Amino acid sequence: MRNLNFGYGISSPRAINLDNNDLRKSNDIIREMPELQACIGCGSCTASCTAGNITSFNFRKLHTSVRRGEYQGAYEELSKCMLCGKCRLVCPRGINTRGLVMLIKRKLGDF
Amino acid sequence: MENMTFFAPFTIPFIVGGVAMFVVIAAKWLLWLVRLPRVDRRLIRHNFFTRQTLLAVWEVFRESLLHVRIFRVNPVLGFMHMSLAFGWFLLIVVGWIETVAYLGWVWVPLQGHVFFKYFMPVNGIEGHIQLFEHLMDALLLLVLMGVALAWFKRLRSKMMGMRRTTKHVLFDRIALSALWFIFPARLVAESLTAAIYGGGGFLTGSIGGVLRDIVPSDMLSLAYEPAWWFYSAALGVFFAAMPFSRYMHILTEIPLIFLRRWSVRPTAERKSYDRFEVEACSRCGICIDPCQLQEDLGINDTQSVYFLRDRRYNMLSLKVANNCLMCGRCEQQCPVGINLATLRLNSRAKRRNIPHEGRYKYLRGVDRSSGSGRVGYFAGCMTSLTPGVQRSMEQIFAAVGEEVWYADKEGGVCCGRPLMLSGETDAARKMVAYNTDLFRRHNIELLVTSCPICLRVFRENYRLDGIEVLHHTEYIDRLIAEGRLHLKADGRTFTYHDPCELGRGCGVYDEPRRVIASVGELREPKHSRRDALCCGASLANTIIDDGQQQRIAKRMTTELEATACDTIVTACPLCNKAISRAAAHPAEDIAEVVAKNIVR
Repeated sequence: MRNLNFGYGISSPRAINLDNNDLRKSNDIIREMPELQACIGCGSCTASCTAGNITSFNFRKLHTSVRRGEYQGAYEELSKCMLCGKCRLVCPRGINTRGLVMLIKRKLGDF
Repeated sequence: MENMTFFAPFTIPFIVGGVAMFVVIAAKWLLWLVRLPRVDRRLIRHNFFTRQTLLAVWEVFRESLLHVRIFRVNPVLGFMHMSLAFGWFLLIVVGWIETVAYLGWVWVPLQGHVFFKYFMPVNGIEGHIQLFEHLMDALLLLVLMGVALAWFKRLRSKMMGMRRTTKHVLFDRIALSALWFIFPARLVAESLTAAIYGGGGFLTGSIGGVLRDIVPSDMLSLAYEPAWWFYSAALGVFFAAMPFSRYMHILTEIPLIFLRRWSVRPTAERKSYDRFEVEACSRCGICIDPCQLQEDLGINDTQSVYFLRDRRYNMLSLKVANNCLMCGRCEQQCPVGINLATLRLNSRAKRRNIPHEGRYKYLRGVDRSSGSGRVGYFAGCMTSLTPGVQRSMEQIFAAVGEEVWYADKEGGVCCGRPLMLSGETDAARKMVAYNTDLFRRHNIELLVTSCPICLRVFRENYRLDGIEVLHHTEYIDRLIAEGRLHLKADGRTFTYHDPCELGRGCGVYDEPRRVIASVGELREPKHSRRDALCCGASLANTIIDDGQQQRIAKRMTTELEATACDTIVTACPLCNKAISRAAAHPAEDIAEVVAKNIVR
């Protein structure tokens, strides 16, 4: 029985308990940029990303995690962004993604 | 008469105010000059004994006194500034000549010159020169006309060709009120003097005559001293408030003109020179009307005049600093010639530029370029979202048989300007270094880019000695001129939209037009060339949202479509996207139009 593999080992089990996360910064971010709630998670931002083309930088994953209150490593990861602005042009929901990068960085520790 | 002291109690407010102004301004200028970086001080030393200094004197005369540049924007507004500045200046000069004419070369304290009529009311005693009286009255009238226009401008700015005037801070209001009273007060004081003692020119003399006829003489004597007190107080209050108000510009523009002539410029780093530029702003408000954020979105706290005001009084918010398209429309109209975009940029840098050691380490060793040749093509990030432009450029390169090295066909690294526009100049330097190294490694001699944003940073911030940088419109224009590229007539009519970064940013206006004219009829929209509107998609603004961007794009596109052209052409992938979203028919890039009409 021990060797039986049901396929659950592909991704490590992960549960997010929003009640345990500190959502204050996340709420701040959404208050300053309410349009972020319109995100449908299509991933166009990540697909068009200049930095994502070279590294594993994934903007969709990042801002989704931040919204859930998971800030660990987000600031360092966001430093990879070159702010080129392609994501803003392709976003089907018209989210001000460049402003969002700067906003998240500001809330998570820039100046 | 020689042992006259030229002192009366009423002159005290004037003297106190004047001394305060002198001390504060001298302290400010000295502090700013001492704090200049060494590079700038060397520039000043180097350029001090050159023609530039003489040119600066001439420019001070033209701009600080005559206000030629304001005349160009708006003649009535120009006349207002000229009558106040030049009129007042002449009042001082002619007043001085008058004292010398009567008293000879003796030292007269400043208040003796200013209140000459009080101290020597009947200068008809010996050798009275009536001409001075008339001349001084004429000059006073000139200044009064300026004051009247200023009042009028507050009430009806539209009559002065300005839809909106500036909202002011407290010190401005104090100084402004005092300034408005100075010359009417002088008129009253001198007229009363003429009424009591006689004399006076066509203005003060006549009013004095009327007063003498209708007002009892004891009433005249009663009003005499208070009138002079009031005039002195108005001057004193104005002088005392001046260094803290917008009127600081009157004198600060003078050192600014000299420093500019000596090639001192603001940079991405803040420095004390910025203070000269910031305080030379007269808050005339000419920058408000060209701003599309104001015109299309009704945002009225971020225009250059407010930005400079906020920065000067240390109340600049991040939002105001960031809420600017940096289209440059205000800068090219600024009568003082302030480097508004650079000041805006280094305000952002102060807030954002935290150097990060490990930042962009991942760039090391990345090289996705392809092909080889002495010509390099850098499409730019935005162009990768308009693949039609890139394909067209490849067709053009193929048609002329150019061997091309493609820097970022398979995905490249950003040019760094977007980061700079957000104030992260240090981080952007890593990208500049990366791309420079990439270009050098592949030994190109000519770099063609399709993105005006990249073009501008290549020209302004990269050191690419030995590599010529061209926008694709310039490159195509050159191909046509050299007879390497032949185009057939397209048959369509085109309206060209000047991208901000290409036009005002890099001064490329004629090449795109020549290229378009070689395939079809070119039409000009209402605002074109230096005056062209921004598409609203500017990377410089991280505050406005999508809907606001679209509103800006809609209005400028409507203007382009009003020319009833078949196709709107532009030369920037970002403008292209913005226009295509707002227009009935998608816009085309010049490269696309050209590629369709190549004669093989």
